Amino acid sequence: MSNPPNTYDLLKSIIQLSTSSIPIQVKLDRMLQSISEAFQSDRCLLLKPEKIDKNGFLSRLVSEKKPLWVEEGSSFQKENVLSEEKELLCPSFACVPLYDEASFQGILHIGFLKKRKFSSEEVDLLLLIAKEMEAAIRNDRLFRKSEQTISELTALYEMGKTITSTLNLEDRLKLIVATGLKTLKAKGGLLRLEERKTGELKIKYSIGEYHQNPLDEKIARRVYHTRTPLSFHRPGEEKPSFSILCAPLLSKGRTFGTLAFYDKDSDSTKFDEKDFQLLLLMVNQMSCAIENALIHYETSEMAYAHEKTAKEFSTLWELNKALLTTVNFERILHLTLTAITIGEGLKFNRAMLFLVNEKDHILEGTMAVGPESAEEAGKVWASLSQRKEILSDLITQLSPEDHSALNSIVKGIQIPLEQDQCILSRTVLEGRAFNTQFPQLKEGWLQTRCERGCHLGSEVGCYVGEHLSRDPRVYSFATVPLLGKGKVIGVILVDNLYNQNPITEEDIHFLSMFANQAGLAIENAILYRNLEEVHQELKETQTFLVHLEKMVALGEMSTTIAHEIKNPLTSIGGFARRLDRAILEESREKKYTQTIIKEVSRLEKILNDLLNYTQDESLVFKELDLRDILEESLSMVTGGIHSGGIQLIKEYAEEIPMVMGDSHQLKQVFFNLINNASQSMSEKGTLSLRVHPFSKNGSPYIKVEVEDTGKGIDPENLHNIFNPFYSTKEFSLGLGLPIVHKIITSHRGQIEVDNHPGKRVNFIITLPASERGREKRFKVAEADQ
Amino acid sequence: MKKILIVDDEESIRFLYKEELEEEGYIVECAKNGEEALEKLIVFKPDLISLDIKMPVMDGIEALKRIREKERHLPIILCSAYGEYKQDLTTWASDAYVVKCADLTNFKSTIRKLLGLS
Repeated sequence: MSNPPNTYDLLKSIIQLSTSSIPIQVKLDRMLQSISEAFQSDRCLLLKPEKIDKNGFLSRLVSEKKPLWVEEGSSFQKENVLSEEKELLCPSFACVPLYDEASFQGILHIGFLKKRKFSSEEVDLLLLIAKEMEAAIRNDRLFRKSEQTISELTALYEMGKTITSTLNLEDRLKLIVATGLKTLKAKGGLLRLEERKTGELKIKYSIGEYHQNPLDEKIARRVYHTRTPLSFHRPGEEKPSFSILCAPLLSKGRTFGTLAFYDKDSDSTKFDEKDFQLLLLMVNQMSCAIENALIHYETSEMAYAHEKTAKEFSTLWELNKALLTTVNFERILHLTLTAITIGEGLKFNRAMLFLVNEKDHILEGTMAVGPESAEEAGKVWASLSQRKEILSDLITQLSPEDHSALNSIVKGIQIPLEQDQCILSRTVLEGRAFNTQFPQLKEGWLQTRCERGCHLGSEVGCYVGEHLSRDPRVYSFATVPLLGKGKVIGVILVDNLYNQNPITEEDIHFLSMFANQAGLAIENAILYRNLEEVHQELKETQTFLVHLEKMVALGEMSTTIAHEIKNPLTSIGGFARRLDRAILEESREKKYTQTIIKEVSRLEKILNDLLNYTQDESLVFKELDLRDILEESLSMVTGGIHSGGIQLIKEYAEEIPMVMGDSHQLKQVFFNLINNASQSMSEKGTLSLRVHPFSKNGSPYIKVEVEDTGKGIDPENLHNIFNPFYSTKEFSLGLGLPIVHKIITSHRGQIEVDNHPGKRVNFIITLPASERGREKRFKVAEADQ
Repeated sequence: MKKILIVDDEESIRFLYKEELEEEGYIVECAKNGEEALEKLIVFKPDLISLDIKMPVMDGIEALKRIREKERHLPIILCSAYGEYKQDLTTWASDAYVVKCADLTNFKSTIRKLLGLS
């Protein structure tokens, strides 16, 4: 007979264990140990519900919810005893199911190898202990359940907190997926959102591993279209196991995305119902937040776009203001290019401008603005960033750098407009912008080449690309057409050679907007320039006409006077000669008559000169060699040059184009000049005659110089030497040089005087070569090529 | 003795030419204008006429025309202070054109040439 257990000690031990904070398994083990010790049992164990087979006797106990006492004197019906249950059948044993109102926690079994009886005290004690154990298990379950609920709530709270902590869409999505991953203990998370424009489902954010499995996409689409969440598990046999939870993001009855998690991270490979519920809970909470973030994102994008547009407009306005400050052509071009390159403006590194030459059907490089090297770029940008002026003021203060190498390169570029291989030419012909980004492939940069017809094309790439950057493969640039009123008047080429910033479509759009404004300003400047030129020409013509009119009036008057004087002069001179003949050689009167004859001759000469000057003799224009004319004029000079102490130097070029002219008049020109020269040197000095061809504005001219080492011209008289009726002692007739001037002008030539008073004077005459002379010259030039 | 008719509205010129040419051995008659010259032509029957161009009543060009109508082969010298008439086609009907000058050498040699005396 065994000693009865110490009821107090056992209950104390059981209650202490039950209320301790040790893990439940340990707790139960120790309780069983205490029971076993107290009852001195041979066996004491707790049968877990999952170990109980429904066909055994234990399950009967469970369904009957009654304890079983097998003791000395009692019989135990060994029905339905399963083989695994047999070892429980001790000579004496008790099985007490652990119950509460709602659940079954297992069966407490206590067994004895000897037969014994269970006193009513012992029965009560075991029932009480069973109740306590049941409570301990239930409490533990409740504790764990509430712990999980707390952790879920914490997760939700965390999620809520984090998603409200930022309005940045990317961060918010990242946080949602990350928190979900943590909460569900998943290996991967994936958020898909519908794209507004296309309505397609696109991966927005992913974390951890996610499956590249085609099933993934299918499941997401299905969830998205059916608006029904899905939990899918494929146990891993041949293929690796695959477990997914996927829920739609819903807002106001429509789906805008899906949230999915893959594969449980822990030992359990499958998501359970709780995980699924948790995901749904999260999705319900998050949908709104995600949508808000999306709306916020879109709104801020829109606000950003509006702000950018406003800034662009403000920049455009500033630039236009600067363009309005001038109508000077060069200035407008420089302002335009500066505006494109300045940091506050369009921010390109370099800008080049090409204008259409409609006459020759080519595109001509006109101006370029930009640093020469990366170092210079750095310096310029740094110094500009220091300046605080308003944009429009700043760009009007920067002055053109005419000497830049880039400017010279660009000014030398001429591209035939029919080049459909050349981007610049195409920009004009197609009237649209081009953005050539880093053409890596040869095919890519081939399109920038000028292949046939363009004499500037080369084997390595486009002339422009080749000269603006060493390697055309890494040279990216953009072009926009410059629009005038209804036509393309030029092209602007921009690049970011130094900082290699990519040229975006937005950049091009803004540049095009500005180019439209600049195009109008440039066209106006061109028109204004033409207008100014025409105005200048008109002014010159008017001055010339006024002068001509005066001259005509003066000419008419002097002709009349000359004629009135001529008849009396003829008779005076005539009779003087008669008297002279009648007077004895040695007489004093002879000197008088001689003086009269001489003076009348002088007067007659003046009158003849005058009448020659005022009369427009009909001219006979022929092709002439100026050397012949000069030689003949030389021979006409009375006394000749060779006699006396005057040295004659002739410098005639071998090839001289012919001039169109009246030989008689031109002879008179050179006769007058040579005559003046020899008179000014008073028989001692050097007379140089030089004839040379030269070219001006692409047209051939001939220059003739008549230089003497005489007294030169008094600076006071210099501006009057071509004035008719103006006479000095040196030029006693007064009409020699005006006649020279008149004849040269009527031959479309020019006369200049290089005067060194007291030393020498050089008369420089330039005459245009005849058309045939030009042709000849042109052919020579072609032959040279 | 060759007869020369001097036609000039300037009396001093008429006087000078008459003196000079008579000294050369010509018979010289004078007329003040073209009309008078036409009258003198019939009466005087000159071998040569020197015609001034700018004259009142009838100028030298008109007189030249009228004289040529009657006397196709009579040598006529146009003698004017104006050089520009040289380019006037109507003066081509004359045999010579002499610009007036105090030195009469050229005038006289032209007369001799036209009269076949040199």
